[in-house]
Amino acid sequence: MEKAKISGYQLFVLIFLFEMGSALLVPLAGEAKQGAWLVILIATIGGILLFFVYYGLFRYYPNQILTEFIRSILGNFFGKIVAFLYILYFMYLAARVLRDFGETLLTFAYPHVPLFFANAAFMLVVIYTVRKGVEVLARTGELFFVLENVLFMTFILLIIVSGMIHMNNLKPVLEINAVEMGKMAFTKTIFFPFGELIVFLMIFPYLNEPQRLKKIAIAGLATSGIFLSFTMAMNIAVLGVDLTLRSQYPLLTLIQSIEVAGFLERLDVYFLLKLMIGGFIKITVFTYVAVMGTANVFNVKQSSRLAYPVGIVILLVSIVIASSYSEHIHEGLGAVPMFIHLPFQVIIPLLLLIIAFFKNRKKTSKHQRHNTDLKGGVDK
Amino acid sequence: MVSFFKQKRQGKQQDRKKEEEKQSKTTDYIESSLSDNMEIVKRKTGNSPDIIFRTVKISQNPEINTTIVYVQGLIDNPSVTDFLIESMMKNPHLSEKILPQKALDIISEDVVSLGGVETVNDWEKLFLMLLSGDSIIFVDGINKALVASTKGGDRRSIQEPSTHLTVRGSREGFTESIETNIAMLRRIINTPDLWIESMKIGTVTKTDVSIMYINGIAKKEIIEEIKKRLQRINIDSILESGYIEQLIEDQVMTPFPTMNHTERPDMVAGNLLEGRIAVFVNGTPFVLLAPALFVQFFQSVEDYYNRFDIASATRFLRIIVFIISIVGPALYVAATTFHQEMIPTKLLVIVAAQRETVPLPAVIEALLMEITFEILREASLRMPKAVGGTMSIVGALVIGQAAVQAGIVSPAMVIIVSITAIASFATPSYSIAISARLVRFAFIICAGVIGFYGMILAFIVLVVHLCSLRSFGVPYMSPLAPLNPQGLGDTFFRRPMWAFKERPKLISSKGNLKREGENQRPLPPESRGMKTSDGRKGDGNES
Amino acid sequence: MEMNHKKLVLLLMLIGTTFTTGCWDKTELNEMSIVSAVGIDKNKDGKLVGTFQIINPVNVAGSLQGGGGTNPPISIYRATGDNVLQLDSIASAKISRDMYFAHANLVVIGEDVAKDIGINSILDAFERSPEFRATTRLVIARGVKAKDLVETLTAIDKVSAEKVIKTIESTEKQQGGSISINLQEVIKNLVSSGKEPLISGFTVRGDTGKENKMENTQSSSIAANPNAVGIGVFKDGKLIDWLDGKQAVGTMWVLDRIVNTNVTIDWGGKKGAVTYQVLRQKTNIKPRMKNGKPKMYITVRAEGDIREVNVPLDLASPHELIDIEKELAKNLKKEMEEAIAIAQNNKSDVFGFGELIHESHPEYWKKHEKDWDDVTFPKLETEVKVETFIRRSGLRNKPFLSDIKKGDQ
Repeated sequence: MEKAKISGYQLFVLIFLFEMGSALLVPLAGEAKQGAWLVILIATIGGILLFFVYYGLFRYYPNQILTEFIRSILGNFFGKIVAFLYILYFMYLAARVLRDFGETLLTFAYPHVPLFFANAAFMLVVIYTVRKGVEVLARTGELFFVLENVLFMTFILLIIVSGMIHMNNLKPVLEINAVEMGKMAFTKTIFFPFGELIVFLMIFPYLNEPQRLKKIAIAGLATSGIFLSFTMAMNIAVLGVDLTLRSQYPLLTLIQSIEVAGFLERLDVYFLLKLMIGGFIKITVFTYVAVMGTANVFNVKQSSRLAYPVGIVILLVSIVIASSYSEHIHEGLGAVPMFIHLPFQVIIPLLLLIIAFFKNRKKTSKHQRHNTDLKGGVDK
Repeated sequence: MVSFFKQKRQGKQQDRKKEEEKQSKTTDYIESSLSDNMEIVKRKTGNSPDIIFRTVKISQNPEINTTIVYVQGLIDNPSVTDFLIESMMKNPHLSEKILPQKALDIISEDVVSLGGVETVNDWEKLFLMLLSGDSIIFVDGINKALVASTKGGDRRSIQEPSTHLTVRGSREGFTESIETNIAMLRRIINTPDLWIESMKIGTVTKTDVSIMYINGIAKKEIIEEIKKRLQRINIDSILESGYIEQLIEDQVMTPFPTMNHTERPDMVAGNLLEGRIAVFVNGTPFVLLAPALFVQFFQSVEDYYNRFDIASATRFLRIIVFIISIVGPALYVAATTFHQEMIPTKLLVIVAAQRETVPLPAVIEALLMEITFEILREASLRMPKAVGGTMSIVGALVIGQAAVQAGIVSPAMVIIVSITAIASFATPSYSIAISARLVRFAFIICAGVIGFYGMILAFIVLVVHLCSLRSFGVPYMSPLAPLNPQGLGDTFFRRPMWAFKERPKLISSKGNLKREGENQRPLPPESRGMKTSDGRKGDGNES
Repeated sequence: MEMNHKKLVLLLMLIGTTFTTGCWDKTELNEMSIVSAVGIDKNKDGKLVGTFQIINPVNVAGSLQGGGGTNPPISIYRATGDNVLQLDSIASAKISRDMYFAHANLVVIGEDVAKDIGINSILDAFERSPEFRATTRLVIARGVKAKDLVETLTAIDKVSAEKVIKTIESTEKQQGGSISINLQEVIKNLVSSGKEPLISGFTVRGDTGKENKMENTQSSSIAANPNAVGIGVFKDGKLIDWLDGKQAVGTMWVLDRIVNTNVTIDWGGKKGAVTYQVLRQKTNIKPRMKNGKPKMYITVRAEGDIREVNVPLDLASPHELIDIEKELAKNLKKEMEEAIAIAQNNKSDVFGFGELIHESHPEYWKKHEKDWDDVTFPKLETEVKVETFIRRSGLRNKPFLSDIKKGDQ
């Protein structure tokens, strides 16, 4: 762990930008058609429930990062294996987001640039940031948060001014029935992006006011959920369901259809900026977490030294992960949620929580005083 | 990693302490023989002709030889001739018989009518004082000397500062003399809490360096940190405050200034009152201010003298100007070579028509023009003033007309470069304007290589870099990041004077943030029958 | 030292990556040709013929700055191929520079292409390309080839694509007789099962042999000029009918796309006696289920001024105005009912009634979606209600005509 502290607001900002990151760009919960925004909201609630699992773990080990307390729970050997798996998971996710990002960039603006170079240039920036540590990342996040919101406001303003919103496009809300909606929310949308909050178990211990963690994280999740839901609703209200679903990047299509005062057209750069800020925060968080985890598991003292190797591995994985964008997306929607997200985001944390619960109950009987102190500190 | 460096530093510091001890051991003391002493002075100063020896005989039976030594030009002539030499010669106390042992006491107590007189017995200190303008009185047979404070000589008078110009506000600027500068501050801030600590830095130059702060407002940790860093300096010379700045910065590898400097006493006063610490260096009118924050470089003292709405608008303008001066040409390059779709068709047609004959790629064109501009700027800065007029004519003709007419550069590019150039001079702080110019080139290259993608990458790196900077431990981007809502009132906009309730949190001492009393908002008189702001109605009496 | 090495490596990698990535997507302005309009025709063999209008920047900008004008502001390139992308690549072979489509604001589709091949197969390439704008306008060349329209040289707006776009927009605004519709909207309507697209028609009027000669623009009375004519009705992506004059305006009323239009009514036995200018209007369409069948309730509310009166009439009297308002409403209602009847006759739901029913009665829609255009829509019941309000009547309360007549007596 670094010797660093981040404030509650900074954590909120990081969670917000992280959740918005790449989810903003794709047709999130698109299959729900007009009800997509509702599915996102349901998934947000699911995400908050999932957060309570992580929060439970955090309360048992408020001063340890994920890879550290896994070892405390499972013992050194098994702990190390699981912790290592988590590192791989984070690296894989970083690579996925990087790939998403690179593909988007190539599709809409730079068709001739090799994917490797687009990704490599971005990864260098990420590595530079990771080396600076979590405090710098948090402060950068604060500035980008303002930028992101300013962009969002101007964007809404432009959409309203160009008179493209047709609320009728959002009807009928229940194009698919409620049961299907719930199913969609809890099998897909909850994992991406809300369940990815698990990486923050590597960052929560840096919070300077752990007693407020619950409020901050829920606020972060809820705000990002509302924003995502709002964006998706706006996509559909402007573009209609068919076009939204047919677009690889509905937000881009939305931005491209803006036409104000005869000269504000083709604001693709705006999309690029949004894409890059979101992608940057998300990839950097994943990479940072992977670096810290590796340093922690393998007892590397100077964790910033690992930024290069880990970054390069992520870069390479992002290239070989799939041969085409369709394959990449297909994996992302099919196999990844079931076989990767589900165990890492839900099953393992739940098991860990149960084991931790029994372990700590034993402890309570032995070292009652110690435990009450600890709990008291957290509950405040 | 941090601890590793600390150890290294500590090790170095120990070495330095040992050296200092060695030096102090070899210090020589003043001899009792006057001729020996004179010999030593002459030898040490290499017989320099500006060192004046004036021998005066005092006492009777036997006469005692005394020699007054001073450096011509450094001393205040009237005080040396009138109050030192003349009184030595004519004072009745000295014409009586006195014992050599008592001579010094008599001279210092009864004869010399000057402010500061002290006795010195080691050479090192003596030379320091002699060479800073004091006069030394040696008395034969005594191994001590008397130092009379006669500092003076010709100095530049107080003039209007040439940087940080304002329309409204004090016209005084600092001079090269540290005493004058400190005095100017004393005149503005009349509190005993204005504390000054002095030291001499530079093994050869022995330059006077003073730090000034307001006790109780400045943070103790920051004062200690600055003192520690100043004491750490081991260099032969300090010729300008820039030497100090570069030796005590937090981070070296950055184009951005992490210390502010100014020629204006009112600006120093304002900063001291916010809890900052000023470093005065003798020989330069530029006073350093620390810690410095990014937003500070967009502020001018005049912002506080003008009404808040006008000041806020100006500050907002400066931010835009700064952004233009960084991304202006890069934006043009990216838009015309990668993202033509975002230029409105009509504009694109015009630009395309202009570029039709230009043989160079837009990036090269931009770099070429920027470099030409930098050459012009540098040349006009360094050349004698008399040639300046010629310079600007040649520059304007070469860039503005001939290049365009020859079809080497497009008129649009000339417009862009000119706007950027003007923008870079509209920033109140010269040091941040230079940084912007450097960063601009990076942006142009990034834009030329991969358009807006490159520019945004450069932008992210820039933001991360700015966020990673600290100035004496204070995050450079505060109060924006980390966010401090109270501090935001004095960043890109300035809150009204009556709402300046607190000092900046991260800079000022914690216990002493309160800046002004309650209810400072000015109100119209109640008797006018107007509604006052708190809702009470006046009595409506118009008379 | 180690730190410095790393920074050096970082720097080298950065420079390396950036410089090697360079130039892939870079196009200098003088290496590209800006396409302003694309025309698509069909030749005798059924192949597509593309006509590309390319801007000559120097000639356009030169004339903007006062000089130039002797050389044509546009150049035309043609290519024949099986699909749109083939046209692009074949035409590129004839031009020394890359064709750049991001500023192609106009796509002209030949009438025969629209009728026989349909627009479905053409539009995908435009939509898929990241270069093409979603806001590109679409028109149908009516009575002429798309090529003729693209080739025409125009006087005030140097680039004829611009002229065409401005004409459609002003016609839509001033009269309501055309519809300015972009690529994205057309595709949205093509995809939707509850709405069919409408695309404006354009033709070249006048001496059609001369439209591509520079002399066309050099006389004060221009020989050949592009003109907006009517609105094309589509069904299943194919052009099936043209709406002209009142039919077009009536359709635009139902679509709620009227901005300003003049409504002329007969009064006192005189034809076109009173002209009313609409300033604000709102059309609301609400489907309601009646006996298990939907019925569309269309309410129009229009506000405007009296602009021209050619019969003696006392406009100061509110009673007269109410009568005129009623007459106006009757007129408008008739126009709209006719427009709806035509659409039902064409079996093409250009008004998007189907979408409205989908939104409000999804269950009904699910049952009838498949046969909407052919069975349900033609039989759909509608009820039009029009309210008009005369707010002002200009600077005079009576036409001077009424006074002249008094003098005669």
